[in-house]
This record gives sequence, structure tokens and C-alpha cells, in this order.
Amino acid sequence: MYKKINVPFDLYEIDLLNADDEQLKKISEEMGLALNVDEMKRIKEYFKQKGRNPYDIELQSLAQAWSEHCCYKSSKYYLKQFLFNVSADYIISAIKEDAGVVEFDEEHAYVVALESHNHPSAIEPYGGAATGIGGILRDVLCMGAQPIALVDPLFFGNLDVKHEDLPKGTKHPLYLLSGVVAGIRDYGNRVGIPTVAGMVFFDENYLTNCIVNVGCIGIAKKKNIVPSKAERGDIFILVGGLTGRDGIHGVTFASAELDEKSEEEARGAVQLGNPIMKEPLIHACLEVVEKGLCTGLKDLGGGGLSCVIGEMALAAGFGAEVYLDKVPLKEKGMAPWEIWISESQERMMLSVKPQYVDDVLYIFQKWDIPATIVGRVNEDKILRIYYQGYKIYEMDIEFVTSGPEYCRPYVSKKPEVDEIEEIAEPTNYKDVFLKMLSHPNVASKEWVIRQYDHEVRANTVVKPLQGRINRETHGDAAVIKPTSSFKGLAITSDVNPWKTKIDPYWGTASTFDEMVRNLVAVNSKPHSFADCLNFGNPEKPERMGEFVESVKALGWMASGFGLPCVSGNVSFYNETPYQSIPPTPTLLGVGIVEDIRKAITSYFKTKGNAVVLIGETLKEFGGSVYSAVTNQKSFLVPRTSPEKLKNYSNAMLESFKNFKVYACHDISDGGLAIAIAEMCIGSHLGFESVNKLDFVELFSESNTRWVVEVKESDLKDYIDFFVSKGLKAKHVGFVADETISFGSFKIDVDEAEKVWREGLTRFTGW
Amino acid sequence: MDVDEIKVAVLRIEGTNCEDETVLAFKNLGVFCEAVHLKQFYSDMIRDDEQRNITDYHCLVFPGGFSAGDYVRAGAIFSARTKSVLQKDIENFIKTGYPVLGICNGFQVLVELGALPGFDEDKPIAEKPEMALGVNESNRFECRPSFLKHENRGKCVFTRKLKKDVVMFPVAHAEGRVIFPMGKEDEFVEKLKENDQIVFRYVNDKGDYAGYPWNPNGSYYNIAGICNVKGNVFGLMPHPERVFWSYQHPDERSDEYGDGKAVFESVIEYLKRF
Repeated sequence: MYKKINVPFDLYEIDLLNADDEQLKKISEEMGLALNVDEMKRIKEYFKQKGRNPYDIELQSLAQAWSEHCCYKSSKYYLKQFLFNVSADYIISAIKEDAGVVEFDEEHAYVVALESHNHPSAIEPYGGAATGIGGILRDVLCMGAQPIALVDPLFFGNLDVKHEDLPKGTKHPLYLLSGVVAGIRDYGNRVGIPTVAGMVFFDENYLTNCIVNVGCIGIAKKKNIVPSKAERGDIFILVGGLTGRDGIHGVTFASAELDEKSEEEARGAVQLGNPIMKEPLIHACLEVVEKGLCTGLKDLGGGGLSCVIGEMALAAGFGAEVYLDKVPLKEKGMAPWEIWISESQERMMLSVKPQYVDDVLYIFQKWDIPATIVGRVNEDKILRIYYQGYKIYEMDIEFVTSGPEYCRPYVSKKPEVDEIEEIAEPTNYKDVFLKMLSHPNVASKEWVIRQYDHEVRANTVVKPLQGRINRETHGDAAVIKPTSSFKGLAITSDVNPWKTKIDPYWGTASTFDEMVRNLVAVNSKPHSFADCLNFGNPEKPERMGEFVESVKALGWMASGFGLPCVSGNVSFYNETPYQSIPPTPTLLGVGIVEDIRKAITSYFKTKGNAVVLIGETLKEFGGSVYSAVTNQKSFLVPRTSPEKLKNYSNAMLESFKNFKVYACHDISDGGLAIAIAEMCIGSHLGFESVNKLDFVELFSESNTRWVVEVKESDLKDYIDFFVSKGLKAKHVGFVADETISFGSFKIDVDEAEKVWREGLTRFTGW
Repeated sequence: MDVDEIKVAVLRIEGTNCEDETVLAFKNLGVFCEAVHLKQFYSDMIRDDEQRNITDYHCLVFPGGFSAGDYVRAGAIFSARTKSVLQKDIENFIKTGYPVLGICNGFQVLVELGALPGFDEDKPIAEKPEMALGVNESNRFECRPSFLKHENRGKCVFTRKLKKDVVMFPVAHAEGRVIFPMGKEDEFVEKLKENDQIVFRYVNDKGDYAGYPWNPNGSYYNIAGICNVKGNVFGLMPHPERVFWSYQHPDERSDEYGDGKAVFESVIEYLKRF
């Protein structure tokens, strides 16, 4: 089936034309293509028309382009149907490019990207997470934008799992957590982009697949936004790191389930990161952009070179030719197909007018970054590759990029309507409260946050840790001041896998609600969002059902609220023979802060101020921290609606204009009790409730609620303001001294703080 | 010198990453300031319009970051490269009295270079480093606000306009622990005190000397920043450029200046009288 071609390097012809279905399947497996028989047959048909057999490099190239990772073949149908229909006049570019581009002010645009780096991180947490950061930075950079903030939502198995209970080939969650955090730290801190938001979540279903999502925000002058598109007569210049055997088959590896053999088979699919190549690469690319020396810019990510040149040329209606032997290599003896699909890090492709080539090469030389001419744009829509003078590739780019699209069958999970709700009052309120506070999903994430430089670039106005110095509490969203004006960007990332696990639809709607709450809490107007949809194997109808329900909910909330989804990523196959992850639709929300001097923080400011609860509390405990720590079953995941969320959000933002609001915190994991505890911890102040609060009021996780601190003299007017709009607002208590008192129980702030601070560090150490 | 004559260079190589905000801090005060790649001082490949000379400037700054990745010892590569091409120039620069500032990684560079503690006025760059900035006691990178007590009696040209006793500059580093030669620690501290070379010491929120986390790295004698014997070379681990404005402080939301401004203001004032 494989015939070596008589050339002075490794090149094989693959006999597709005479292959039957069984052989096609075998070829796909042996070459690591991860294409199914139908897809292979389509390729066979194409080459039959050409009257020849493909070379290995051509098949490998198609496997990259048609992978789940690159062409979204399982998800596109549903995303288009439910999610991509919200528009806004301030969107400059959504979904089409590597990152979303949104208007910030007259002169500037902000850029948003969010991606997963799950499979590599499960195999090699440090390198996987580091290169995840590297990749997301390039996605933002290739739009011509300066990256200004990083975000990293992370998901792991429970930290107390015993080593002997780990499935074969699975790494301990504590090892993965430490490795991933170190990878993000060492890469993010070195490139000098602050990591300002994120989350860390633990659940048993992440045991065999940890989830590492990475997001990035950038800022650019509108006139400098660069498309991933070449122009007639352009020269292609490859810049950045050398190309090696690391990261071969990364995308096909990410488009299949992991199993116990993944470690040995896929180690080579994990790339190696070099932040000290990336840091000057950012400077040099931005200098080229600022001087207007390139027509197009695209990053080399999944699929490497094979997913870049053809697409840049085709976007302009052209083709291209490539001199593959010009690509600078890390090692000798690489076959052409390996060079073509290698995912080695820190590489970018520029399309440049011939007259500017010397200027561009000079800028990269100044920074000691390799820059090489590797091809040029041609008139016909065909991509040809030459290696040492031999033509080794000739395919229509439109065929290569016409990946399949599936409308996969799905079964929607029926929320357990018939199940009995077990939720009952706790026998000991304080014990339950302490258990909630010390749960790693609730507890202080200081151990993680401190390891990231969240201040570099000197633009982080509202920081991820807020309150008295060295004993801060969690905030709701970070606020960045990206330009010389006082306008800011609020950034948050959210998802609640306990809720999506029980009910993908309402769990996802709750996630959207929480993202909006967080943005509103710091006094920002929700502006856009990106999604990273992490799910199991889409070929299984019940997994596909989770995906479809989740996307439906997201589309319903986004269109009703009027918030556009500007960028996204789908990561399937987060599944092993042992288990699948819970549905994890991670959202990255961006809000506009009109004046950063009016941003609001989460911790209580002054004793004697009144504390108001905004929103409605129902007995909704599905996926709650309360049900988890009390081992009580609950299926009623909190409900919401886009109209309700919008009405409350608008009223909240209006109230911030009309009243002096001292602190605001959204109510999420652990309910009102945990929200108030966090507000107390940040300032070492207490809370005194006006009435006895019962367990539903304290621990329910109903959506669309906030806790607000106002002057007592404003209390009546503040509540009337909401009531007059038909919304709920209730005076729940006062900021007090050193004791948190809910009527049903009380506790010293010091005691609460201690368990909250040690919830994560009892596993990680400090 | 008039303010508009003053020219400041923030030196950069691959991995320095705080140059933008450092340049901005100087520019905010009306002086000319630019980020200059080390190669612009010596390399043949640099085009004419981008070639620079140390004597073009009146103040040099080594900014924060991870120069060359800091995979060896923090600042070691940047200082070695600087020494190999600019040692004489920088020696003359310092001897003439022009100021040199090192922030965070820049402090590490100045220590590796032998410019700090800088006990010998006639030989402003020592042959080998006389102190070190070791790995934090917590053994990892930490980013946190820090309170600094200003203890300089007037020698350091970078803090003369500082009005507050205690300021807040954030730290963000993995290697910031001031270490002196073993057995000679107290001797070094005495000498620094005597010469008025101690500039900032870590204190807690009440202004008292305290241990971790107030002293975020375990520095000897809580030292956060020192100057050379002449007072014109200053290095510190905390980042004044990150608190130039008050809105960069935790929970201060006005458009007033922040604690860090005084550092830049002081050196400009010094150069005005130069």
C-alpha cells in the first residue's frame, strides 16, 4: 500500500486508488490520520479524478484540515443553528478568525480568544499548559493586537483521591494541578502578560481528563487590525521558533479519546514552549504591524504549516506555492510531511508585499528571531509544495478546507423530574457552613493566584484578590485599563460543572447568568463573550445530547440578553474508557467599565452599613455546594431567564449610578452565606442579620442575585428603587464587628477565614 | 538641565517585560524616554537611525522581567552581555554622576553586574558580585503588594522627593531575597547603614518590621532596595512603575498620583540640578 518514491528524502505514495474499505481504514490507522472510512473514500474519489495516488504529505495534510479540532465537523451544525445569530453593531469580527474583534472606543478594538489545551495537559501538565498560553497569545497577536490579560479556568479530579485508586495511565490530580499552575506561571510571567482571572474546580469526573482552558484579551488600534489573509503577489515569511518533531499529530490526538496507552503514543504530540522566543516575537510582530509592513498575519497552531498558508491564500481567492526545504528545523532527517504538520511553538506566518520583505526581515533579525521566506501567493486556487526541487504536493485548497460537517444524532438527557428531592435542613448549620467554606471549589485560590503575575503591564485596576493587604478575598471580575483613557475592560470566566452534570441545559443557562452577574458586580456593562465547549465523545448520542442542550441554552440566554458570542472553541473527546467529563461550557465574559474609578470591589468597607440582597431566593439546590457537602440528592438546578437577568442587570448598573455602593458580590457557589463570608474575610469585618436566616435563604444557589453594601441612610431608597421596577430587594443585615451572625448560627470571621484559606492549601501546602 | 533636555533609556533584551510601563512613568513627567535594545549600542546589523550611544542619555534603567528567560540565575545573562559590551561606558556614566535604576529583574542585573552594593566610588562596577538575590524563602514566584519603609537619609537620588515614611509598591518575583556573604551579613548591613545606602525595608501594615508575607522573600534585614555609595545607582525588588497612579493601588480609585511617582520625580529633580 505504501511505495517509497525515488527522491533523496523520505516520501511515500499511498495506494488509495486500489484500496478497499478495510484497507482505507488500515491506512488511516497506520498513518495516525484519525479519519473514518467515509472521509477516506471522499479523498480516494478526489485522487481518482486527478488520476494519481496521493503522497503521504497530502494525506497527512487532509487529516489535519478535516480533524474535529480544525474543522468543527461535529459541532458546526448546532453552533450555527443556536449560537451564532446574535449580532451587535460594535462587533468588528466574530467567529471567523482566530479571535473575536470588538470595538472598545473610537480608536481601539479589543480582541478575545478562548481555547482548550486539555489532551496535552493530561499527558504532560507543565508543557501542555505552558503551550496553551503560548497558543492563545498567538491567536490574539495574529489579529495585530497587544495581549493585555490572560485567563485560565482549570478543572481537575478530587485532590483526596488515593494513588491506588487511580485508573491505569492516569496521573494524580495534585500532580496535574501543580504542573498546570507551574506551566501557566512560568510561561505567562515570562512573556509579561498578566494572568488576571480564571477558576479552579474539582470533581471526580475530571479524574482521567483534566481540563485546561486558556483565554486572552488584547488591545489594538482599529487601523492596525490585520486579517489572516494574503494579497496578490505576496511573499510568505515564516517567523519565530524552529520546526521540530514536537507536536506532530497534536490535532488528531485531540480528536480522539485518551486511554492508558496515550502516554507513550502521544508524548510526541505535546509541544515544547519557549516563552523567551514568544516575548520578543510579540514585540517584533507588533512593530511590523504598526509600520504597516504586512498584509496578513496568522499563527501556527493546530495542524502547523498545513493549516496556514493555503487558508491565507484562499481567503483572498488565490493559491500558493511553498518551498518546504527552506523551513528552519530543530533536527535533521525530518520527512517533508512531518515538517508540514509539526505544531512546534512560537511560530507565525506573515504575508508581505515584495518591497517590504527586507524591512520585515530586519525587524526580526534585530530581535534575533529566525525569519525565512518560505513561499508566495499564486493566482490559481491550488497549493503546491516543493522540496529540494521536487513537487510533492498539489491539491485544490478548496478541497482541503472543505472538511465534512456532521449532524450527529443525539439523545437529550431527561432531567430527573421524577426523582425525589432530598434537601432538608441541616442538623448543625455551623458544621455544614464550615464544610462548604473549606471545600476546594469554594476555598481561597490564593495559592494559585499569587503565583501568577497579575500586575505586570501596570494596568490591572481591580485585582483578582481584593481587600486588606495580604489577607484579601476573591473578587468577581478583574478590571483592566487598556488605554490612556479611564475606560476599562472587566474580565471573568465561569462555568458550573456540578450543575451542567445534572442538567446540561439549566446548568449552562446558570453559567451564563453567573458570568453576567460577575461583570455587573464590578460595575461593568456586559459587552461580549467567548465560549470553550468541553465535552466527551460526540460520536456517542448521549454526549452529543449534552452538547446540544448546552448550546441551546447558551443561544437562548445570549440572544435574549443580547450578548454576542465573538469567539469560541469546541473540545470533544474529553473521555476515556473509564469516564467522561461533565459538560463544561466555559465562558469568558467581557464587560465595559465606563470609568475605572467607579469600579466596585467585593469586600465590606464600613461597619454599620446596610447589606441588601438583590434578587429572588427559591429552594434550588441542584448541583449546589450544600447538596455536595451534606450528601443530599437534588436535581432542581437553578432556573433563570434572559429577560429576568437583563432587567436585574440593568437595574443594578443604574443603582450604581444613583447611589453610593460600597461593595457588591454576586451570589454563586454556596449561596448567600458564602458570599457574605467572603465579603467579611476581605476586610475582617462581620455581619449581623436582621432576621433569622434559614438554610434555603443561606445556602440556595438561585440565579440572578447579588449582595450589596450601602449606607444605612440610603437603605430605604435603594430598596424602593428596585421594588419600583417590580424587582426584589431585601434588607438582610448590617456590616458588623468581627462576627458573622446569621441568626440561625454565628461564627467569628477569623475562624471562617482560617478554614477558607486552608481549603486548598491543606492539599497543596503553602 | 531643563526637563525637556533630559533623556532616559530603558534597556531591553528578549524577556525584559516591564519596559512599556517604565517608559510611560518617565514620559508622564515630561522627559524623553525610550526603550532601547542592548544591540542598538553595539551591533553592526542595526540600521543607522536606530543606533544609540550611552552618552545620548542622562539616566539608564534596567526594567523588570525575565531577561533571557532567567534560566541560569536571575539577571545573570543580561548583566554578562551588558558587561561584555558596555562595562567602560557604564562605569564612566556612573562616575560622572548620572543615575542608574534597576527594578526587580533590573536590581538582579545590577547586583550581578557588580554595580550594587557598589561600595567603591572609584570602581563603580566591582569585579564580581558582592551580594545576591536568592530564591524566595517560599521557594516560588509570588505576586503581592508590599509595604516599604523609606530609611534613606538623603543619599539616594531616587527617593529624595518621597514624602511618606511608608509606601506600597507591589512585588512579583521568584528570586528577590537579599543575601550577603555568609558570616559577613552584619558587617555588610553596618556598612550600608553607615554609608546611607539602605533605601527601603519591608514592613507590615502597621509600619513595623515583620516576617513573611510582609517580607515576601525572606530578605536579610528586610532589605527591599539599596543604592550605591554615591547614591546614583539604585536597585529594588518592588515595582514603583506599577503604582505611578493611585488607581493602580488596591482599592483606590482617584486620578491622583500613586506612591511610585516619587521615584521618577526624584531622579528628574536630581537631573534638573545636574
